[in-house]
Amino acid sequence: MAATSEERVAAGSVEVLQPPRRPFQVGLAARYAVLIGTIVLTLFPLVWLVITSLRVPSDIFAVPVHIIPASVTWRQYVNVFTQYNLAGYLWNTIIVSLATVVCVTVLAVPCAYAMARFRLPGHRVIVALLLIMRMIPVVALAIPLFAVFASLGLLDTLTSLILAHTAAKLPVAIWLLIGFVQDVPKEIEESAAMDGAGTLRTLVQIVTPLIAPGLGASAVITFLFTWNDLLIALTLASSENAQTLPVGLTNFVSQYGVDWGAMSAAGVLMVIPTLIFVWFAQGLLVKGLVTGAVRG
Amino acid sequence: MADAAVALNQPGRRRPRGPLTSAWTGYALAGPALLVMVAIFLYPLGYSFVMSFFRWDLSAPSAPFIGLNNYKETLTSPLFQQSLRNQLIFTAATITIEVTAGMGVAVLINGKMRGLRAARTLLLIPPMIAPAVVGLNFRWLFNSQYGFIDALLTDLHLPAIPWLSDPNWALASIIIADVWQNTPLMVLLFLAGLQSLPQEPLEAAAVDGASPWQIFWYITLPLMRAVIVIALMLRIIDTFRTFDVVWLMTQGGPGGASSLVTVYAYLLAFQGVDFGHAAAVSYIALAISLVLLGVLYGLPWLRER
Repeated sequence: MAATSEERVAAGSVEVLQPPRRPFQVGLAARYAVLIGTIVLTLFPLVWLVITSLRVPSDIFAVPVHIIPASVTWRQYVNVFTQYNLAGYLWNTIIVSLATVVCVTVLAVPCAYAMARFRLPGHRVIVALLLIMRMIPVVALAIPLFAVFASLGLLDTLTSLILAHTAAKLPVAIWLLIGFVQDVPKEIEESAAMDGAGTLRTLVQIVTPLIAPGLGASAVITFLFTWNDLLIALTLASSENAQTLPVGLTNFVSQYGVDWGAMSAAGVLMVIPTLIFVWFAQGLLVKGLVTGAVRG
Repeated sequence: MADAAVALNQPGRRRPRGPLTSAWTGYALAGPALLVMVAIFLYPLGYSFVMSFFRWDLSAPSAPFIGLNNYKETLTSPLFQQSLRNQLIFTAATITIEVTAGMGVAVLINGKMRGLRAARTLLLIPPMIAPAVVGLNFRWLFNSQYGFIDALLTDLHLPAIPWLSDPNWALASIIIADVWQNTPLMVLLFLAGLQSLPQEPLEAAAVDGASPWQIFWYITLPLMRAVIVIALMLRIIDTFRTFDVVWLMTQGGPGGASSLVTVYAYLLAFQGVDFGHAAAVSYIALAISLVLLGVLYGLPWLRER
């Protein structure tokens, strides 16, 4: 769009002025070099991870290092399930992430609606607390949570992970959703109220469908940040009862020496959901990150 | 009641504001979420703040009140000072590199470029993948025997670098991993900012014969102020939360050379079982990041509108 208007300006001014340069015309070749260089630097470490996961053990520890593997094997992807408990880590991670998304969504939507539409006494205090919670280092939360869950006997359970993640992810989700509720025209709710719909019905049947993109963005972000978390799980889960994939990665190091091939395979498997979300929900993700950034 | 009756009888004249403004209904809706955040977030935080003034050792039967001792001892501890120095270097270096490189790349690839859409998708990958995976991957890339980076340096007839085992390089390795993960986010943020800029000043400057560099320095950069502030705030907050990458790459070693404040706090709490000091460390870290945000907010260039 910008380019077409620039072209129009250019076309109109050709006779009067010398043809105006487009802003930042540094040289198209140089710009493409930057674009390609950025993409290569972005992708190469990931490609290397995939290559490592496909190498045979003798090839992993080959000197000199060669880029193209001598032979390709899927063995590491089998090993992580047979020799390591990847299935357990995977299951725990899926349960914790999905349960957290459900809890966060169910709690955050009515809260964001109330924050956006009701005159809550203490509104400013709540907003300030949401911002501070966004800033708190996770370790500051993990230390007392360990003590609290220890006294409740909840350590090393999926429940403790779900509770901790729900509390930790709520501030961002609420913050994100407030913006989406504010973008809904108030008149729609007011006419629903005039037609006799109660608050709850207005929220569930009218507002929730209208903020669907916001719900999607907050769900995807909550899921991925829970999926990726190391610190909360490292603190609260001490055994394979509740350990998640990122903690499982640390177990590849300490327990069995460093098994680089299997560890890379586990890393690749762990990144796959992220790639799926980036591919199919990049709009929602960018919206969530940028809105979250602008507001948080 | 009378107002409600009037509202019901004459909907056209007066909007029914009752249900939308009632504080009770509002709190009923917000209550569950607020309760969860108070119970599982704010209460534990407050608890650890209080306990940072006690000798708080989970294995000991009692925790005596010791006033500011945890804070005093933390601030004078050489290990803490080392972690804090590392933290400040890490924060300054990553933010400088990520914001500068992010802005440079964003300005250069902004506009009509083939493949820009695909590039935007690919750029979203590093910021969204688990920092733990980034850490393990860079640990492997930086491996001094079988790692790709030293192999590349050797091929280029440069000296190989003992990235993770040398105290002087360990922190640099972590900075590189963080730069790889977070620069793309800065590019995306700045691209979004550039695309929402008004076109007129840029076009007018180009017509007046300003060089691309002048346009960037005198027009684009000041217009991007708000976005830059957001980027800096985000990165300051997040560098003080960084843990996973370090944990997978070095666990803060060798000898604390790559320890950040979060890593130091974690080690104190869960290997030293010294929760009082750990809590003090996390609150000092929070205070420092708040001060940095305050300084950022007070910078005159960033405040001008």
